Amino acid sequence: MSDFGFHLAFWSLAAMTIGGASMIMVSRNLIHAVIWLVLSMLGIAGLYLTLSAEFIAVVQVLIYVGAISVLMLFAIMLTPRAERDNSQNIKTSAPAGLVVIMVMIATMWVAIDTDWGAVREAALTEQARLIGESLIKHYILPFEIGAVLLTAALVGAIALARQDDEDAAVHAASLQAELKGDGSVDPVDVVDPPLPSDGEVGS
Amino acid sequence: MIIGLEHYLVLGALLFCIGFFIALSKKNAVGVLIGVELMLNAVNLTLVAFSRFGSAEVALSTQVFVVFIIAVAAAEVAVGLALALVVYRNRQTISVDRTTLLKG
Repeated sequence: MSDFGFHLAFWSLAAMTIGGASMIMVSRNLIHAVIWLVLSMLGIAGLYLTLSAEFIAVVQVLIYVGAISVLMLFAIMLTPRAERDNSQNIKTSAPAGLVVIMVMIATMWVAIDTDWGAVREAALTEQARLIGESLIKHYILPFEIGAVLLTAALVGAIALARQDDEDAAVHAASLQAELKGDGSVDPVDVVDPPLPSDGEVGS
Repeated sequence: MIIGLEHYLVLGALLFCIGFFIALSKKNAVGVLIGVELMLNAVNLTLVAFSRFGSAEVALSTQVFVVFIIAVAAAEVAVGLALALVVYRNRQTISVDRTTLLKG
């Protein structure tokens, strides 16, 4: 790889990652914040490629860009009456900023000052095969625990998010009323204008 | 100038701090979760950088760690968002300032 190309890739990907993360901080709309998060995650996936960790880069795109961002968008869409605004809490921002600046100084100092004894050997080849083999040989116990954790998280998320039958019936009834567009629904409850039913569209 | 380990470490530290600030200061619960995700990604970036620039023994194990961290992060965000939905259903808000049920 030519040196100039590598420099260009690193600096542009770094700018993309940090810029996306900063825009999350600045953005006032939560949906925009999630889109900026996607940009930042794509930048990190590109940085994994510059570190020749191809397998991790693909996993990053699949899980973060594909799954987690969509999950977050769903959570935002399912909480319509909660504020979409992504603003900061003014009271806690100042002490939080102070703590963060101290952490930043400490981590930067450690990162720059330490002699890491960095060597640049040949990158791993056949990473997917090596990671898979070590997962089921050397790391078999964490692998099993991870499987149990993912199952527990799946069941737990469904159990938490599931509505009671009574709630579900009330919700379905109010949704029906909204779809009909009659005046029986309290206007305060309706966030979006009621959708026209199929009959109205046709006529 | 050669792009070395320090560049990636500084980038990871910067990203971690931005995520930390977002997690501490945002009002919305989903915003806080976004900050936590950024912090986990910064740690992953640091680990992968060590995998590339470290000795051959750590090159594989760091990448396996990254796979585990991604799995745990996925589980965490699924449960966190389900919790946000439950809080919204009961309180009609997911602002972390206004969910003060446990405040004395």
